[in-house]
Amino acid sequence: MRSKGMRDMLPADMQTFRRIEGAFLDVCLGWGYHEVRTPTIEHLYLFTQAGTLSPQMLDRVYSFLDWDGWTGERVVLRPDSTIPAVRLFVENLDGASAKLFYVQNVFRFDPGDETREDWQFGVELLGDTFPRGDIELVLLAREVIDSLGVNTTIELSHPGIVRSVLDRAGLSRSEQLAVYERVLSGDLDAFEEVEEKLPGSASIHSLLATKGEGPDYIENLRTVLATDIPGIGAPLAELQAVATMLSRMGLAHQIAPLGVRSFEYYTGPVFSLYAGDKRVGGGGRYDALVGLVGRDNVPASGFAIDHEALAPLLPPAGARPEPVTIRCESEAALSRAFALARELRQGSTSVQVVSGAPAGGREVVVSEAGYTLALNGGSPLQLSDIADVVRELSRP
Amino acid sequence: MIKLALPTGDLRVPTSERLSAAGLYVEGYGEGSRKLRSLPVPSQPDARVRVFRERDIPMQVALGNYDIGITRLSFVTEMQVRFPDQPIVPLADLQIGRAGLFAAAPQDAFPTLTDLGRLTSVRIASDMPNIADKFARAARFPRYRLQSVWGAAEAYPPEDADLVVFAAPDEDAVRKLGLEPLFSLMSDSLWLIANAAALASKDLTAILTPLMQGARGTHNGRLRLPAPINAVPSATERPPRDFVRLAIPDGHQQRHVHGALKGGGIEFEGYEEKTYVRRPPSGMDGVEVKVIRPQDMAQLVALGEFDLAIAGRDTLNEHLFAFPNSPAYELIDLHVSPYNISAVVDGDLPADTMDEALAYWRAQGKRSITVAAEFPATADHYARSRHFWRYQVMPIAGASEAFVPEDADILIEGTETGKTIAENNLKIIDNINRSTTCVIARRNSEPSGPRAEAYHALVERLRKAGEAALV
Repeated sequence: MRSKGMRDMLPADMQTFRRIEGAFLDVCLGWGYHEVRTPTIEHLYLFTQAGTLSPQMLDRVYSFLDWDGWTGERVVLRPDSTIPAVRLFVENLDGASAKLFYVQNVFRFDPGDETREDWQFGVELLGDTFPRGDIELVLLAREVIDSLGVNTTIELSHPGIVRSVLDRAGLSRSEQLAVYERVLSGDLDAFEEVEEKLPGSASIHSLLATKGEGPDYIENLRTVLATDIPGIGAPLAELQAVATMLSRMGLAHQIAPLGVRSFEYYTGPVFSLYAGDKRVGGGGRYDALVGLVGRDNVPASGFAIDHEALAPLLPPAGARPEPVTIRCESEAALSRAFALARELRQGSTSVQVVSGAPAGGREVVVSEAGYTLALNGGSPLQLSDIADVVRELSRP
Repeated sequence: MIKLALPTGDLRVPTSERLSAAGLYVEGYGEGSRKLRSLPVPSQPDARVRVFRERDIPMQVALGNYDIGITRLSFVTEMQVRFPDQPIVPLADLQIGRAGLFAAAPQDAFPTLTDLGRLTSVRIASDMPNIADKFARAARFPRYRLQSVWGAAEAYPPEDADLVVFAAPDEDAVRKLGLEPLFSLMSDSLWLIANAAALASKDLTAILTPLMQGARGTHNGRLRLPAPINAVPSATERPPRDFVRLAIPDGHQQRHVHGALKGGGIEFEGYEEKTYVRRPPSGMDGVEVKVIRPQDMAQLVALGEFDLAIAGRDTLNEHLFAFPNSPAYELIDLHVSPYNISAVVDGDLPADTMDEALAYWRAQGKRSITVAAEFPATADHYARSRHFWRYQVMPIAGASEAFVPEDADILIEGTETGKTIAENNLKIIDNINRSTTCVIARRNSEPSGPRAEAYHALVERLRKAGEAALV
């Protein structure tokens, strides 16, 4: 009966979800960020107008005519959180800066059996400039995932690298967009085809497909490529700035020149966090997006942690204490049972009120005469005062 | 048993000839025939044929109701664009009914797609809305709205659309309509298609082998999409209108509307009982008239493209069931072309009311109810309000009386006398609503200034037409 691509979150799943959410909230609040939430439904034109989602991504959005869609304009279930967060900033928040975070779902069609609803733990840092904001977000994202006991590695890239190569190849703006869209969707052969139009003898495709370590690798790329592709200098310099700072802080990282992700709004350094070979989150700089959505440009960057990728990697949590069972023997004793439950909950003890057969574990049988405690298999203890019951149950 | 779905309409005769030439003569399918269901193929006793509107055939084959179909490839593509996983396999181009699918703009208005993209919002009209939507996304129009129309999309520019995506025989034919083809999306013709599961599990060679002969090595029918444009919308708005616009219908309502208008003393030159010109002179100061499909009128009035429109109440209801917040509403009842929108079932079903039918199907353990309807929002509203359990609404383009019982359990249909229903061994078990032709207007947006006088004069004359029809 469940709709394809959607999934139920069972008690164990929700426990994991809340662990991630709890760690994320603690870290974000600790860094001075404020929580927001955007609507599930947005206008489709928010995404087409910004020109920042590729047609491949737009082909996967859940778009439809709303009940008041007689204008012929469609709405979507949000396929991405950054653009709605920027809209929220533009429409609601005064000032030139904001530190925002959110926990919300995004919807993207997948033709196979993969989930079509993903939960994201996202951060948007609006108004903070390069490279301070970029470094802050890498540290913040790492802190969240570290606090959950998952080891990650950092991978850095910059969309300007690919764009400068396409520009040097003499492609028109439309051709650049078409090739870039193929690269974004993972078709690196597109890049190989462009190579024929480039000057110089180096195999650009092979070179850029190679991942390297830290600032030294960036310097090597600059040495080999900057003469033939002058435009590559600026993105490599930005990448270098972030890489150098991370190295100074002792944070190892890899440089992946073609590691751009499937969003076009990135304008500066982007990063991914990997647990083993699994990408669990990432983000980057998008200085032009605020201007595209409707306000003067504001420098900005952001990231999101992907719940679907991270949740299976969490180490097991410590077992929660079983709740105390309050079993009610008659209707007449019901008010007494709920009064006891309230007292115990106020003392932070988890309680369930049941009727019927004994469930085992820590149990209190409530009758009109009083309370009978069965603790750890010992002899039943008869009590008449609610305070005595609470005291007995709070013993270790 | 091999089940074939074949097209009705203009391509019925050439398709019949092609089948006969392949040794697959279908009894009752050729010229002059109006038969729709259970047509035998004498040379293949295990084959049965059902006739549909071309547009409906892809869905029937995808559902597995039919193993093989013959229809325009553009209709298959229209479905595949929206539902890429549906199990249809296009097999061969039968080279019948050659045409093309074009994106075209009014001549001299927008020389390129980039020029169009500079509009604040591009208005696109198409009877292929899924393809048109994919086209707009690929072109990367910053903002657009799509008017999904029942047909005659080419009639919308320049007043009511900036771009139209529609089928035409060739580019010259597009130009003859006053439009300039900006992009050719695909070459179109009749194709032989099959259900993937049927291909995988049934021996279909008795039908496929003769039809595939001579059909191979044909043209590429793939959908072509434009490269992204690079346009920044300008803030220029369209100038306000200084005249009132009225939409009047073609099709089966034309005769009734012509009569009603005449009764009220209104005659538009060139709009007769059976013939029309697209833009007949109104003969009234400040009033412009255009003939379009009635099904599309409520939306155009809601959008403000027309001030008033004359169409069946069923089309207005369909619009309002889909979009309850729409400002379109019924201003005047013209009291002509009366008929009921009814729930129709198989004549042999042991039930005389919908409650009895539902009780019977529930007792039979029926898991899902299929409702076929030319007005899917009306059908969906009806199914919800009658608390159907699991159900699916199957939108259909026509030839509706042959859907029940083989392909659907219920048909939501306009019925005038009930004669066609009875002739097809069907019966009406519920009357959903009563439709007559009415004047549709836009709530809270009566024209002001110089247009007000023309608007009120026109409304007054239309009111008189309604009153005259009552007499």
